[in-house]
Amino acid sequence: MALRRKWLTVSGFIAIAAAATMLSAFSGASTSQGFSPEQPVHFPHPLHVQTLKMNCLYCHFSANKSPDPGMPAVATCMGCHALVAANKPEIMKLAAYWNKKQPVPWVRMHKVPEYVHFPHMSHVNAGVSCQTCHGPIQNMTQVYQYSSLNMGWCVSCHIGQSNPPFKARYDCAACHY
Amino acid sequence: MSTETESTGIKRRDFLKVVGGGAAVAASIGCSSDRVEKLIPYLVSPDNTVPGVSTYYATTCRGCAASCGVIAETRDGRTTKLEGNPAHPLNRGALCATGQAELQALYNPDRYRSPMIRKNGKLVAAKWDEALQLFSQKLGQTRSRGANNAVFINQHESGSFPAFLDQWLSDYGMPPHISYDSGVDTAAIAAHTAAYGVAWPRFDFGATTLIISFGGDFLDGWGPSVPQQLDWADARAKLVGAPRLVYVGARRSLTGLNADSWLDCKPGTEVSIARALSGDMPVAQAAQASGVDAARLQSVVDEYRAAKPGLVIAGGHVANSTDLFTVVAALNHSNGAVGTSIRPDQAILGYEGIAPAAELRALVDRMNAGSVSLIMVRGANPAYNMPRSTGFAQAMAKVPFKVSFASIMNDTSEMCDLILPDHHSLEQWGDAEPVRGTLSLQQPAMDPVFDSLATSDVLIKVAKGDPANAAKYALPDYRTWLIARIPGGDEGMATALPKGIVAGSSLARTARPASSAFAAAPDIASTSGDLFLFVYHHPVLGDGRGANKPWLQELPDPVTKLTWQTVVEMHPLTAAKMGLDNSDLVTVTTSAGKLTAPVYLYLGIRQDTVAVATGRGHVNAGRYAKAGENAYDLLPLAGNSAGGIAMVSTKASVTKAGGSMLLATTEGSARQHLRDIARAIPIGELGLAGEPKHAEPQEEHLPGDASHEFLPGLRSPVANDAQGDFGDPASKDKGMYDPNHWSHMAQRRWAMTIDLARCTGCAACVTACYAENNIPTVGAEWQGPQIMPDRTGFGANITRSREMAWIRLERYYEGGEDGSADFETRFIPMMCQHCGNAPCEPVCPVYATYHAPDGLNVQVYNRCVGTRYCSNNCPYKVRYFNWFGYGEPHRSQYAFPEPLNWQLNPDVTVRGKGVMEKCSMCVQRIRGAEHRAKLENRPLRPDEFTTACAEACPSRAITFGDAADESWSVTRLIKDERAYHVFEELNTFTAVVYLKKVNHPAPATAPAHA
Repeated sequence: MALRRKWLTVSGFIAIAAAATMLSAFSGASTSQGFSPEQPVHFPHPLHVQTLKMNCLYCHFSANKSPDPGMPAVATCMGCHALVAANKPEIMKLAAYWNKKQPVPWVRMHKVPEYVHFPHMSHVNAGVSCQTCHGPIQNMTQVYQYSSLNMGWCVSCHIGQSNPPFKARYDCAACHY
Repeated sequence: MSTETESTGIKRRDFLKVVGGGAAVAASIGCSSDRVEKLIPYLVSPDNTVPGVSTYYATTCRGCAASCGVIAETRDGRTTKLEGNPAHPLNRGALCATGQAELQALYNPDRYRSPMIRKNGKLVAAKWDEALQLFSQKLGQTRSRGANNAVFINQHESGSFPAFLDQWLSDYGMPPHISYDSGVDTAAIAAHTAAYGVAWPRFDFGATTLIISFGGDFLDGWGPSVPQQLDWADARAKLVGAPRLVYVGARRSLTGLNADSWLDCKPGTEVSIARALSGDMPVAQAAQASGVDAARLQSVVDEYRAAKPGLVIAGGHVANSTDLFTVVAALNHSNGAVGTSIRPDQAILGYEGIAPAAELRALVDRMNAGSVSLIMVRGANPAYNMPRSTGFAQAMAKVPFKVSFASIMNDTSEMCDLILPDHHSLEQWGDAEPVRGTLSLQQPAMDPVFDSLATSDVLIKVAKGDPANAAKYALPDYRTWLIARIPGGDEGMATALPKGIVAGSSLARTARPASSAFAAAPDIASTSGDLFLFVYHHPVLGDGRGANKPWLQELPDPVTKLTWQTVVEMHPLTAAKMGLDNSDLVTVTTSAGKLTAPVYLYLGIRQDTVAVATGRGHVNAGRYAKAGENAYDLLPLAGNSAGGIAMVSTKASVTKAGGSMLLATTEGSARQHLRDIARAIPIGELGLAGEPKHAEPQEEHLPGDASHEFLPGLRSPVANDAQGDFGDPASKDKGMYDPNHWSHMAQRRWAMTIDLARCTGCAACVTACYAENNIPTVGAEWQGPQIMPDRTGFGANITRSREMAWIRLERYYEGGEDGSADFETRFIPMMCQHCGNAPCEPVCPVYATYHAPDGLNVQVYNRCVGTRYCSNNCPYKVRYFNWFGYGEPHRSQYAFPEPLNWQLNPDVTVRGKGVMEKCSMCVQRIRGAEHRAKLENRPLRPDEFTTACAEACPSRAITFGDAADESWSVTRLIKDERAYHVFEELNTFTAVVYLKKVNHPAPATAPAHA
């Protein structure tokens, strides 16, 4: 009896482990690709980028000079929205944050682990467009994570297998330190 | 255990298999956790800041009286690193361990988080309004009863604040404040003032050929340690014509270990030797009195007479130091030192105006008599560092109302009734006058961490609410007052702030009447006890100010290499006579008190002397400061005639206490065992070696190095299996290690030289590395193993060699095996050597460590599975393993309790449990500089950046750079005739090149051709 239970347990674990291994191998390991959380204020990229022709760097002002792309300060939003579309419900939500002197608690989507260093400015200045990683962000009414942000995805670009091709140093310590 | 296995029916071996599968599941779940993080933008973006890019603020270090200039690196509103300010006249870009650790005062978890008021015997948090109201009320009461009974003790600082404080006190009818700093040698200050007219002259060691130091520990925090160390290192780096240093004293301090000769005189007999130098006492008599070998003394006297100019310096730790100083001053006036190597014209002004301990001693009588109604203390901690025999703490307890302006809790503030927490110096405005005519500005580098308020602003706020004083304090804050004093006002300040210094002078403080001196102490030889007791200020913890900073507790004492512990230093022969060995507990008893601590066998102490360092053993100064014992308890009430506490004034009886306590040492062996790790060359042999022989013949035959013709000494078969001779010879692609590879990854070869002729062993590099690389401290009581009875308490992890210092200072003795005083000490910083042919790399089963094409040996934390094979195979023992989750906030071993974690460098990964780590040659700085250069569309400039250790080094011993580019200075140093690699014979082809120490033997023993 004991023997039977033992082999059931063991094979059960093995089955689960095998399933997990297969899953992770085929799903691109541990990605949150496609992640598209609801944000505290619904910000439509298409309106700002397509219709109003705003440059990405107007809001994400440090993407070309800092490792951190920068989230716009609430004051940047209110620079226009104090007047523009002030009576729309989403803008009223924004104005409420502003009036309470609270920053908007955006939900973070794109994140590489702490042991990876991704300097935005080096990529932007090397001519990598925002869309290369962030996909058709200009069309996303609600932003989703377009790329897997997995290491294989990073490396494919660094060794020149992307389209358009880029090349950059690809040893571990280029990003891991 | 086995019965459990039976009941579930799973045997251990099967269980492992299951766990193996389970781990895969756990891993895949762990990585894809959807923990929701927030991205919090600014409400209004501050000017001049870019998220993720550091801002640098020039300000002033307040770690000691010297007032060095620092540059505070601030990222996203948090200061993460301090560097020396290159423009500052004192420290010229360097910074000591104490200065580095000011960050742990700023982010100290035991800081007061708000004002505190004592209610029903307990300190409770209060609002500022309530606290200030109480303070005003007490000030009013004191004034009505005669404000002369109020006392203000301030931790001594240079600058205009003391004068501002005195003005405020006088507006309230109170006497000027007592500017107290127990870590400073006030006897030496009195002697300097009498002999040279300034409190602390600059010692220009390069202008002399022979230095004789009577306990003048200029490398141990006796005086401004950084400028003195810079001058010392520059003088010694001359090699030929460099000054020889003779140290006189009962114990070899760090300065003593750097000396070329040691005269081990009995404590209190230094003056006899000084008299022998001056010719007032026959050498034989002086030798007899001091217990020094007559022949050795004779040779020093002869050498001194021949040396022109000579330089004699003396410290005031003995009770009869005034006699010593008188002789020393006469010597310096006759040997040509004054004006050449003693420079009163370049005085260090930070040491002016320090009240001797005798003032506090006099205050004790007043407090006991009930004539002090209000005591205010800011920064200073006299309840700890006024020896217990003075009765300070007991007397202070009798004062009806006690106010503290302490920022971090300490033994004094915890006795107080009202705490008005001060900003840390990195959060407030101020100034200092380090040298005459130059102001060093102090500005906030970040917003306050807690609900504190600068004391200067508290004084202004209180005065504003006082009808009698409101008119005089119409200004909004101290900053306005300060700016009005800067030439050019607002504009002048704005121009000066980026550099941190401006021409000007600080306001003079009100002179206090001369204090009464201590009663004459009895001759130390006549006190009761078996052995002389030598109490000294710990070189980094000082008078206890550093005790609650884990970096400083864990920094091995430069001399003893001990951490977290107080020990009784004893000569091996003495210990053998008493039947004692390392780590045996002994009790040291004096007329004042006693202390029980383990024995540490130290060659650099007289056989009739034991030594104990101050700085540890606080009762109430935070969680880390509890480590060790309080050596101040041993000091009897004895001072010198200058009013300072005599640290060496009594004998003590030493008895076996039974039992033992493992030494928390980071030292493996104090001997090199013929391994030739730290090499030295006598000065006479310099230049005799002929052409440097760097091109090792065997190197040419190593496969793979043909395309790696880097510079001599660093020609290295970088990863010679990587497509070198073993690759496809027909292929054009020679791999990423090929300098002509399209990625240009192998274009540079990062390397380092360390000049042992400069290195003093001060260990500032170690703390700088902790700060830069998020290295956890592991020695706190709660981080240690709890299950082994002899390995608990502070330092328990260190006793199991679990320290994490990426760079360590090794200290080796040469000679003296028989216990004689004639031994040499060599210091050598040891860190990852970034071997071109690294033994750690091939043994890693998961390629977590590999050789980067630019010469770095890289540790990839996310690949590491913790087999520790690499550490096992490393001949230099420079790899450190995270035995516990020091970097994981939810674990009890977490090394960075809030808000210490605010200091963590965002450019460096915080390592988790089970991961190996080691020196990365500050790869984050390399990448940072490369990114910056690319951003500015230019190549890297030679010597444009350096590693944290090199940047801090106060002896400028470390040089970092690109060995593949002749324009970097490291390439020049690599070709030096003194250059060598440690363990060259192992063919590791290291990227760290050491330059041999240069020994200066006494002239009589020097080779004939010297």
